[in-house]
Amino acid sequence: MTHLTLSNISKQFGETAAVQDFNLEVEKGEFVSFLGPSGCGKTTTLRMIAGFEIPTTGKVTIDDADITDKAPNQRDVGMVFQAYALFPNMSVAQNIGFGMRIHRESKAAIKQRVEEMLALIHLEKKGNSYPYQLSGGQQQRVALARALANRPQVLLLDEPLSALDAKIRVQLRAEIRSIQRKLGITAIYVTHDQEEALSISDRIVVMYEGKIEQVGTPFQIYNFPQTAFVASFVGTLNTATAEVVDPANRLISMDGIQLQSAEEMEGMQKGDKVSIAIRPERISFAAQEKKANILDCQIENITFLGSVVRIQVLVGKTHFYMDTFNNPFLELPKIGDKDQVTCSREAVLVLKA
Amino acid sequence: MKNGGKVWSWFWMILGIVYFFLPLVATFIFSLRAKKGVLSFLAYQQLFNDSGFIKGFSYSILWGVLTIIVGILIFVPTAYWVRLRAPQFRTAVEFITLLPFVIPAIVFVFGLVRTFSHPPFLIVDSPVLLIAGYTVLSMPYMYRSIDTGLRSIDVRTLTEAAQSLGAGWATILFQIILPNIRVAILSGAFLSFAIVMGEYILAQYLAKPAFAPFLAYLIQEKAYEPAAATIISFALTWACMGIINLFGRGQQTQIAGGH
Repeated sequence: MTHLTLSNISKQFGETAAVQDFNLEVEKGEFVSFLGPSGCGKTTTLRMIAGFEIPTTGKVTIDDADITDKAPNQRDVGMVFQAYALFPNMSVAQNIGFGMRIHRESKAAIKQRVEEMLALIHLEKKGNSYPYQLSGGQQQRVALARALANRPQVLLLDEPLSALDAKIRVQLRAEIRSIQRKLGITAIYVTHDQEEALSISDRIVVMYEGKIEQVGTPFQIYNFPQTAFVASFVGTLNTATAEVVDPANRLISMDGIQLQSAEEMEGMQKGDKVSIAIRPERISFAAQEKKANILDCQIENITFLGSVVRIQVLVGKTHFYMDTFNNPFLELPKIGDKDQVTCSREAVLVLKA
Repeated sequence: MKNGGKVWSWFWMILGIVYFFLPLVATFIFSLRAKKGVLSFLAYQQLFNDSGFIKGFSYSILWGVLTIIVGILIFVPTAYWVRLRAPQFRTAVEFITLLPFVIPAIVFVFGLVRTFSHPPFLIVDSPVLLIAGYTVLSMPYMYRSIDTGLRSIDVRTLTEAAQSLGAGWATILFQIILPNIRVAILSGAFLSFAIVMGEYILAQYLAKPAFAPFLAYLIQEKAYEPAAATIISFALTWACMGIINLFGRGQQTQIAGGH
């Protein structure tokens, strides 16, 4: 059942089109991330759902009720900010209970809900502390509890983990996801961190220059990017320009080196220029296992990344990265060695411009 | 070289202290000499027995408190709104707040008298005009203190956080913004209070009872009491400054970690 709908949303700031023709339907209890680089319009879209920006055109509805022109305090939407935004003059318990006090709930109900929320974020003993007495991670957990205490229909999270260090970020994102699942609340999460979006979301909306590039599950976004931007923005990707040789047999040529893809090439003609993309982890040494495409190469560089070893190879005139799991008992090639690499037909993605 | 620098630092500091405190100490000692041959608080006693002093002093305190209330009611929402919704007007508003430094008080008071001494604005006899005048005179201190306070908190995000929780403007202003700029407001309030306590021209020309005109009258009439009144006035100003510092210390830790 569609819970939150954004129909033909656009936002203009003077001459700049921050968001253009944005359409999205979010199911109840779904966790959707807006992913994209700075200035792509993801936060503006979130702010339009929150009511802090009014769309230039389009409609925002929750359960079919039009909330486009409603004031932010009339929307029943909870929001978590990057800068925590806890009220410094209030204790943790007062912060969490603030929304309920505004809605004139009874003292007993507020007390009970605050205790529930404190238990949910594992800060039972911090109710009387003030925000300045908490760490960044704790403050953000309180901000989450505060946003949830009112039982909002939709939870909005605007880069909530950006100000935290890496370890806390990973821990807290798992916590956010687990709380969201537990409460079954619809959540929209804004991030520019692809790993965060991939790990936490049911669906990801990849945005670029105010437009939706692709909407899909993390699996779809990573493995089957539909545009060159999505392919380059999500994960590491080898891209190259190629020429269509035989569209029926899905053959393409990269600097004279023939490659076979599994992608449909409907409407393409022999000689058409296309962009192709191959994920580094989908390339391997041909000595280990031979796949549909076998390419001669020269080892250019080897970078040790811990669990993964990234090897740069030169195929024709194109530089490719290939990732292989670190195996301490496997001998790595040497820089300058000539070798062969291989990849399957499915690994060769033909991208829309 | 290092020692030489230290000696000069001490020299300038002592010189500054002497320059500032010597007249004050001299005035204080002079105020104690009302009784011939002995040091006593007679001048202070006589001052507190003088109904003119009590009246002027009490009225000045009243004007000061009213000025602070009016100032807070006008400048907190203004500074908040400019910071949140109209940052493009900030320079213009800051320029306006500095006008009392540029326009002499005497010009200002004659402007007030001319404008408000005939219908439809016949309020020259009302204390409203005096309070309005004091509010304008204290504007540079009050507005800037509040603006500095607002700068120390993330006004936009706090406002949006409160809005997303269902709060309206009044709740945001009184429950979120005001408590978090308490120190800044107190600083502005005490500075305004000090300005009102020492202000002469406005009260004199609008013919309202106040401390400064009484002090001026006293100087013409008596010898020791004006000195005592000056010391009392100084003590009051210092007490205000002390209170600003006292509140300031507590808040700093809270604001620093607060956002």
